[in-house]
Amino acid sequence: MSGAAVANEFAKMRRLRVWLIAVLMTLAVLGLSLFTVVSSPDFDPGSPGAWNALLAGMSLGIPLICPLLLAVIASRLTEVEHTGNGWLSQATAGITPGVMCRAKLVALGLVVTVTTLGTGLLVILSGKLLVGILAPPPLGRWTVFTLCMLAVNLVVLALHLLVSAKVENQLVALGIGVLGCVLAVFSQGLPTAAAHVTPWGYYALATAADYGGGGYIAVDVCYPSIIALAVVIGIAFALVTDRFDRQEA
Amino acid sequence: MDALTAELIKLKRSLAWPIVIGLPVVLVLAGAATQLADGTTPEDGWDTVWLQSVGFYGLFPLAVGIAVLGSLVWRVEHRGSNWNALMSSPASSLRIVVAKAAVIAGLTALMQIILYLSVLAIGKLAFSLEGMPDSQHLSITALLVVATVPAAVLQSGLSMLMRSFAVPIAVALLASGFSTAALMVAGNAALVSPYGLATRTALLGTGSFVDEGTITGGDVAAILIAAALGTVVLVLCTTAVLEHRDTRV
Repeated sequence: MSGAAVANEFAKMRRLRVWLIAVLMTLAVLGLSLFTVVSSPDFDPGSPGAWNALLAGMSLGIPLICPLLLAVIASRLTEVEHTGNGWLSQATAGITPGVMCRAKLVALGLVVTVTTLGTGLLVILSGKLLVGILAPPPLGRWTVFTLCMLAVNLVVLALHLLVSAKVENQLVALGIGVLGCVLAVFSQGLPTAAAHVTPWGYYALATAADYGGGGYIAVDVCYPSIIALAVVIGIAFALVTDRFDRQEA
Repeated sequence: MDALTAELIKLKRSLAWPIVIGLPVVLVLAGAATQLADGTTPEDGWDTVWLQSVGFYGLFPLAVGIAVLGSLVWRVEHRGSNWNALMSSPASSLRIVVAKAAVIAGLTALMQIILYLSVLAIGKLAFSLEGMPDSQHLSITALLVVATVPAAVLQSGLSMLMRSFAVPIAVALLASGFSTAALMVAGNAALVSPYGLATRTALLGTGSFVDEGTITGGDVAAILIAAALGTVVLVLCTTAVLEHRDTRV
């Protein structure tokens, strides 16, 4: 895969308004995080655990918003190949379908990385400036949490790229996205073992704070599982895209 | 009537049923999942089962489901030379818009009936509740059938304008999020948004998020008026837009 293939994907993205969806994703998660603070009556910006409310808001907001919007951007960038017969025309130019899927993952992955890390930073900034939390932000925990959410987002993105590329009818991809949203949200109420079953359950494992005992408390992020998921799906993505290259166009 | 018959024929092979049946069933199951896992029965019987089922469903999966159906019904018109066939057919714009919206609203209505039946099934089979749910829940289901019509018309219009399958769905997710926020801030004034109307009606009588728990005649009247006005205005707007569209090369 060359830089030109990735640059190509960015060129395709220009008129697909992917950036707009990314910005709205950030704003929606930020809004939900701030809503958690506004809606909890006993929130005190002076208490040392005040950041947990924002972390809990993000832990709920990301699984609520991201699975479907990731499905949308993956479907959007892949659908153009189906409608414009891009698979064949790019293959004649030396970029086979498998390579193109990897280029799409790199290009959209960059967008998702910037969006997820940006959301994490923006929530810290608004916690300091808008909410006025006095305690210093727990930067270590915040980093682990954001990186774990990023890993799960990238895994979900990779899977959606494969589905959108394989099945032409985007109903399937979006249907899986809706199902993923439901699974991501309800996995938080299920036992940890059940959350390991589907990729969306790992959003629940990346939860860094939760409501319990009359306030928001810190929860340990289950990062070994998330690293394992990222490695397994990474290898699977490489194998499947390799298979794409051996198919008849 | 011919336009509607044509739509029903197109519907036969369009794979609408996984959404119409799957979405409500999955959400009712997800709502009851925690209690099924713990082996406990709902505290207030049917009321709790209903709240668990519609509580999340009404927030945005309902709107997203309508959006998927909208994209699915319009998908066929954006393929091959079907758009040009549609533009050059003798059927008037109004008849096309009404037929498309009627099909989407009809599928949406089926979705609400499946929701009610799923609640009934899970209450009877999984929790072995006695008797039948309140007649109130049946009335809300009927009201929901009417109150989702404007959202169906709007999504139909969006899917008519956009060739992408995914983007109208992203719009529905984000718009229903903002409409829920508007319902919390502005109350019944937010019923001007078709998404707010759908959410408000689904959550009627549950006492969660945007509802106080008691159903007043004023609320029901406001919902019915908003549904009627919204449907008429949106059908006319969509027709005006379609009237100014032309064939595509």
